[in-house]
Order: sequence, then structure tokens, then C-alpha cells
Amino acid sequence: MSSITIEKSASKGINDLLRHLLSTGKVDAVLAMRMMPDTGAWDLALVTDVKNLKELKPLAPVMTVNASQVLSNLSLSGKKIAAVLKPCELRAFVERVKREQGSLENLFTISHTCGGVFPLDLVAEGKVDRLLPKYEKVVSAGEIPSNIRDTCKACEHFIPMNADIMVSAAGECKPGEGCMIYLNSDKAREALSECTGEHGSAVLDSTSLEKLATARAREREKLFSSIEKDCSGLDGLVNIFGKCVGCHGCSRVCPICYCTLCDFESINFDYNLPYFEEHLARKGALRLPPDTMLFHMGRLTHMSFSCVGCGMCSDVCPVGIPVAAVFSRTGESTASIFDYLPGRDVTEEIPVMIFKEEEFPELG
Amino acid sequence: MTETTGIPVVLKTDNGVETPVREFLGQMLDSGAVDALIMPLKVPSGDSFAWILLNDAGMLDDAVPFPAVMPVQGARALRSLTRKEKGDLTVLALMRPCEIRAGIELSKLGQVNTDNLILATYDCPGAIPLQDYVNDPESSEASFKEMFTTGEPGENAKPACRTCVNFSAVDSDLHFGFLGISDEGMLVIPGSTRGAELLQKMDIQSETGDKLLPLWKSEVESILKKRTAARDIAFKKTESDIKGFSGMLNVFSNCIGCHNCQSACPICYCRLCYFGSEASRSNPEALMNQAIKRGGISLPPERIMFHTGRLAHMSLSCVSCGQCSDACPVSIPVADVFSFVAEQTQSTFEYKAGRNDGKPLPLRDFKKSELPGVHELVKDAEPGGASHE
Amino acid sequence: MNKEFKPRITSFLCKWCSYTGADLAGTSRLQYSTSIIPLQVMCSSRVDPVFLLKAYLSGSDGVLLGGCHPGDCHYETGNYHTRRRFALVKEVFESLGLESERLKLSWISASEGPKFARVANEYTEEIRKLGENPTRKSIFL
Repeated sequence: MSSITIEKSASKGINDLLRHLLSTGKVDAVLAMRMMPDTGAWDLALVTDVKNLKELKPLAPVMTVNASQVLSNLSLSGKKIAAVLKPCELRAFVERVKREQGSLENLFTISHTCGGVFPLDLVAEGKVDRLLPKYEKVVSAGEIPSNIRDTCKACEHFIPMNADIMVSAAGECKPGEGCMIYLNSDKAREALSECTGEHGSAVLDSTSLEKLATARAREREKLFSSIEKDCSGLDGLVNIFGKCVGCHGCSRVCPICYCTLCDFESINFDYNLPYFEEHLARKGALRLPPDTMLFHMGRLTHMSFSCVGCGMCSDVCPVGIPVAAVFSRTGESTASIFDYLPGRDVTEEIPVMIFKEEEFPELG
Repeated sequence: MTETTGIPVVLKTDNGVETPVREFLGQMLDSGAVDALIMPLKVPSGDSFAWILLNDAGMLDDAVPFPAVMPVQGARALRSLTRKEKGDLTVLALMRPCEIRAGIELSKLGQVNTDNLILATYDCPGAIPLQDYVNDPESSEASFKEMFTTGEPGENAKPACRTCVNFSAVDSDLHFGFLGISDEGMLVIPGSTRGAELLQKMDIQSETGDKLLPLWKSEVESILKKRTAARDIAFKKTESDIKGFSGMLNVFSNCIGCHNCQSACPICYCRLCYFGSEASRSNPEALMNQAIKRGGISLPPERIMFHTGRLAHMSLSCVSCGQCSDACPVSIPVADVFSFVAEQTQSTFEYKAGRNDGKPLPLRDFKKSELPGVHELVKDAEPGGASHE
Repeated sequence: MNKEFKPRITSFLCKWCSYTGADLAGTSRLQYSTSIIPLQVMCSSRVDPVFLLKAYLSGSDGVLLGGCHPGDCHYETGNYHTRRRFALVKEVFESLGLESERLKLSWISASEGPKFARVANEYTEEIRKLGENPTRKSIFL
């Protein structure tokens, strides 16, 4: 695999790379995380002017919105965009493309080995800058920072799948020792043929990431078994989701839930009075508004097999329900019955859109 | 403040204020005065409450008439029950004043049918912020107990509650009043003819409220003064915080565009908000052109537009319940801004959200001669200053 | 108590096969369980997973989904999709530790009146053993 080594830290190296792409006109715009210079708040920025590139922090462990959501629309603009995506954002975008919610055609997807992101409350409190040095140290040692999202700690897909350009930013990356950039596609090789740095050939040394992979697998096991314990059976389900306030924030920030009007917001779930009367007659009481469990279980059947475990849903939940942990755990099961892995391959079809004539012999 | 309609009933408070309310409501259910109640019940995990429609009086023991927190704005519960048709199920809902007020606004907006609803409310000391409660229900309950006893929201209450001036005696059918009198008793005050008839029908033998009513009124007045003062201070701060476009940008700089504020808002009833619709989605070429023209753009796009748009769409009916702030995952003081702006927009039309005073929604109404300031602006904008008057 | 317990089984039956099969069972005077509450759908694939969930959460003791045998779908491939969706819902149930036995998929053709009666009776018995669906009494759903 072609590679470029830039004798700078990963975060500086990737900025050089973006500068090269934008200033040579290989792309018209760059999409990446940014710290707003005036307020210190974080956002996702689309930069078209080279002089604004310095505001970008492409490798920052911050996800204010799963970038795949905004990329859907942008990817149809006809302009070329270099999009710096976390591995789960890229996987989510691939899932969206399968659902005809965007196109990879005009994109340079740039991703990196990912150490995980900080929860939104830390970001909103303006703590990122202060926490960053320690984070970088821990991540470059191939360990798990204690203050990242739960589902990031448990994420086993921290090496990007199918990015045009991949930057090494966890595990083997040692600040100051050079930024390794791997070029996975012809268009990446073509666009970066004149980028400064040492051009060569290398493959990502995954042995240096084995320690992280082991640690993540352990965390995943821990998280999933705690969810299995807490969210088991009807009582468990009610225990976990009973305090849901029905704001549906989880579905709005979900990169897979792309429907403009979710079924559960629709008139299908408005009821006539007899419905309530029947429930009253039967059990003497019911919850208002109804259908809290239906919403979460419904979403599990509608999208869990495509869940990339980005953790946005947990972060926006006003009552701290571990939505992401439940969804990634069930998602792993629902995807596995179809031998499916969300975001692995854009040509792999969504399991509910296809079938085999001979399968699931135990059913029916 | 609303005038009382009919004669209040006095309930004994020897066992605190919750027990007599439960007994009173149980009696209403048993006597058939109402068919069902809407009450908060603690959820099984014990760290929040849910609205429960119940007709089993046995369940009242588990109901919490005055919960420490407001997870779902009660008006949303009223809407889910009555939006489709009125039927003939008479339901009494015991809710915070801001929830009843939001219910009244929703009824004007055609989303709640109050024909068979008995709206009951109480002297609200405020609520604990939702996240605080979920994180530590025990100490939140302790803070709430203190608020409840003094009738004053302290440091631990939601910011919206600390500055709330509609904490008692809002338009409702029945009001449970206990501020300043809870040692001696509790008043059930009818606020409508329907409420008065219900009370009469129940035929409760009690002393008249002649003695307690003035005591209660004066306590409410005195708390109102304090909260009004707190509100004035808060409004001044918000006014300076959001001044100018840079002020708005600053206050909302952390916004991630999740629209939780809108979906928690009792007034925003649209099932598909304009700001989540295809119609509001920027055309990709236009978005890119905008980025090229400016050197870059912040994403998701139009987050400030969303908030100002929502102010334009719903601030006339905003009841300042503070749900928007509670639902915000990045702790933006949404409710501070919305309450402040709502005060301005509502006073422009001499409208008060949540009143059941027969006044139509301001934007459903007009007078041929009104808003002279606006008219001047229009006149200036027209070539030749033509006037239609 | 279980003796008096009469399960309610919400049954989504495809118009072309299973519903006709149920009709045939009736016209052939075969006795089958009155626990079956039949609902006709144009194709088993018209049944969104959410229908099954709603039936389950609304207190149905069992939920039966009946379609044409694989390969026989009136719309050619509808039931293949049904099978995938059903497998999906089952998996969601299993991952959440819910009683997935309360969901059943069965292929019953228009000519299989006896099979319909047998499936109806056997499933009713299975559900009777399982007991009442706890969602029937739960108020926080």
C-alpha cells in the first residue's frame, strides 16, 4: 500500500495533507471538526478557504454530530470534498449511501485509527483542550482513556474500513515521530502524488494495535454483559427505558435513522379514545403518551443491524439511558444472523432488502 | 391572578399535603365524578416519573401528586389522550401550573380537547432539573422537600422555576392551595363553574375557607413579589447575553442541532417540524456555494435560524416551563432566552400564554388599527410612504 | 389458573394462503382454537416488524404470522422478505431476553386447512403453557 510519512505529529500532518488537497484544487472543500476561534465551542466545519484551515482540529476526539448525517446532503453538491471522518462516521456514511442518502463519488474520505471521543457534556463544558494532552498520551500508548464514550471504549472497529486516505493516530503513532498516511485508492494516490513528505510503501502495523484491540474487546464484553444483566426480560426493559421522556433525540441524532418523519412520530401512533378505555378496563392504568417501549424496540428492528455504535444517542439522552450500549449489543446480534457488518462494504446490501431462497430453516 | 369561582373546600393536613389530595382524588374516582385520573407515578427504576392514566383507585397509593421533577411536560400527556376525539371519558389531570397552562395553549391550537378534562393544579415550588434528579434522586428529593415546605425554589430548582411568576392560581378547574397555611389545612379552590359544580357534587363536609383563603392569598402575593424580582434580574442578564447577533451566536455556540429543545417543548406540537423537514433542508449546491462565498460554514447548517424560527413560531404561547433547557444535551440555557423573548412578544400583543380568558391566539386575530410602530416601519418601507389607512 | 387461561393469539394471515387455509379449515368443519384472532393482510411481507411488536406489547399472548410457502408467494418474493424480518424480530427479542416463543411464523398454503387447524391448536397449547403475557398488566410500557 502506498504511504506518505510526514515528519510531524499526526494532527499537524493531517493539516498539511488537507492544505495540499485544498490549495492544489484537488478538492473544493474540507469537512472536519473545528474549535470555533471566538467562543471555543466545537462544531463540524466545511472549509473552502485555505486560510480557515488552521481552525480545524481534524483528529480531535469530539463528535458534535455524526458527520455522516451532514455529509449526505453535501455529497450531492457536485463539488469535491475531503471529509475527515471517524471510523464509525465513515461506516455510518456507507450505510447511508446504501439507503440512497448520499454518494461517495465526489468524496475523498479521510479517516484515522480512533482512540474514541469525549462525551458531549465534557465538550460543552469546554474541557477538551485541557484533557487533550493526557488523551493523546494514553491513546498513543494503545490504551483506553477513562473519560471517553462508553461505546467508544467498547468499539472494536477503530481501524477505518475503506477510507481513501488513512492516518495513523492511535497505537503506533508517537507524537513528534512522524505522521503515517496510507493511501488506499487510486484517486488518493493521484491526488497526493505531489504532497510533501516521504513517499513509500507500507501497511498499517496492526501488531502495535493489538494491545488496544484486546483492551477494547475486554471493555466490550464488560459493557455487553452489564447490559445483558440490566436489560433482560420485560422488567429489565422497563427498568432501562421506563424513564424515557419520549423526546426521540436518540433517533434524530442517529446516523442510520434517516427518515424525515419517523414512523413513531407519525399519525399511525395517535389513538382514539376507545384505545385508552380498553387499556384502562384491562389493567386500570397506562402510560401517557403511550408506546415508549414500542419506540425503542421498533427502532431496534428498523435499524440495529446497521448500528455503528457511534454513541450519539446516549450522549443526547436527557435522562442518561445507555441507549447506545443497548443498541450496539442488539445490533451485533441482529447483524450477525445475516453475516452482516455495517459499513464494511458499500456493495454489500442491507440485509432486509435481500434474501436467500434457502435460509433460516428453523423458521416457518 | 384568577378569581375563585364558588366556595373553596378545606382539607385536613394532619398527615401532610399528599395524603389528603390522594384521598380527595380517590373520592372523586369512587363517586364517579370523574372516570379516570392523570397522575405521576414513579417509574420502576425509581429515578424518574411517568404520567399514568388510571381508573383504579388502588393505584393512587403509588401516585405522587407533587413530584420533584417534570420529566414529560404534562400537556403532552393531555394531547396524546385527547387530540383525536373527545369521547365521554371525564378525566382529571393533576399537574403543575405551567403544564396546565401549556394544555390550555394546546387547546387553543386544536391539539388538546378540554371538554371532558378537569384541569387541577397546585402551588408549585418549582422542579428539580431532570438530569440532577436522575443522577441523584435521593438528594434531589431532599432539596425538593425543602422547596416544597418554603414554597420558594432555591438554588437547586430549574432556572425557569426560580423566575416563574405563574406558580399558583393559574386558570384551572380546581386548585390545591397550601402556601402559608399547610399546618392548618389545604384549600381546594374552584377556578371554574365546572370545578365549582364538581366540588358541590362531592359534598365534602368541611369548614369554609374564609379563614385560610386570605392567609393563603397573602403568602402567594409575597412569594410572587420575590419571584418577580428574581425574574427581573434574570431577564436583564439574558437581555445583555443575547444582545446582537454575536450574543445569540455566543449563547447557542454549543448547539449541535439535535432539536431536543423542540421535541421536549409542549407547545411545539407539529409532528414534522418545518426545521426538520425536506422543505428546510438546504439544497446541496446552494449550501456549497454559501461555503465558497464565506470561506466556510458551520454544520449542521442554520442552527441559529432554528432557534430564532422557533421563537417566531411558538414564543407567543411559551409558558416558560423550562423543558427545553432540561432536554439540552449541551446545557444551553434555552429556556432563559425563550422566556425572555416570550415576555416581549406576548406583551406586544397584550397576550398572556396559558390564560383561559377567551382571548384568541394573537396571530389568529387582528385589529384594523393596531401596532402603530410596526405600521410606521411598513410605511417607511413602501415607496412614497403610501398608507392603507 | 392456567386452566381458565385462554390465550389471545393475534394472527396476521396472508390473504392468498394462510387466511384461505383458515377458511378451508372452517368450511371443512375442522375444530381449531378460538384463541386465534385472525387479521387478513394482502401479503405476509406487508407486516412491518412493528406490527408484531405492537401486538406483543399490547398484551397478545402469542403473535402468529402466516404466509405462503417459500417459492409460492402470490407476489413472488414477499415471504422471503417476511422470513428475514421475522428472524430479525426474533433476534431482537432474544437479545433483550424477551420470550421469543410468543412469536411464531408458519407457512400454510390455501389448501392446507388441516395444517392451519393443527398449527392453531398446537400454538395455542404452547402459549397456554407459557402463561399470560406479562405485557398485559404492565402499565409503564
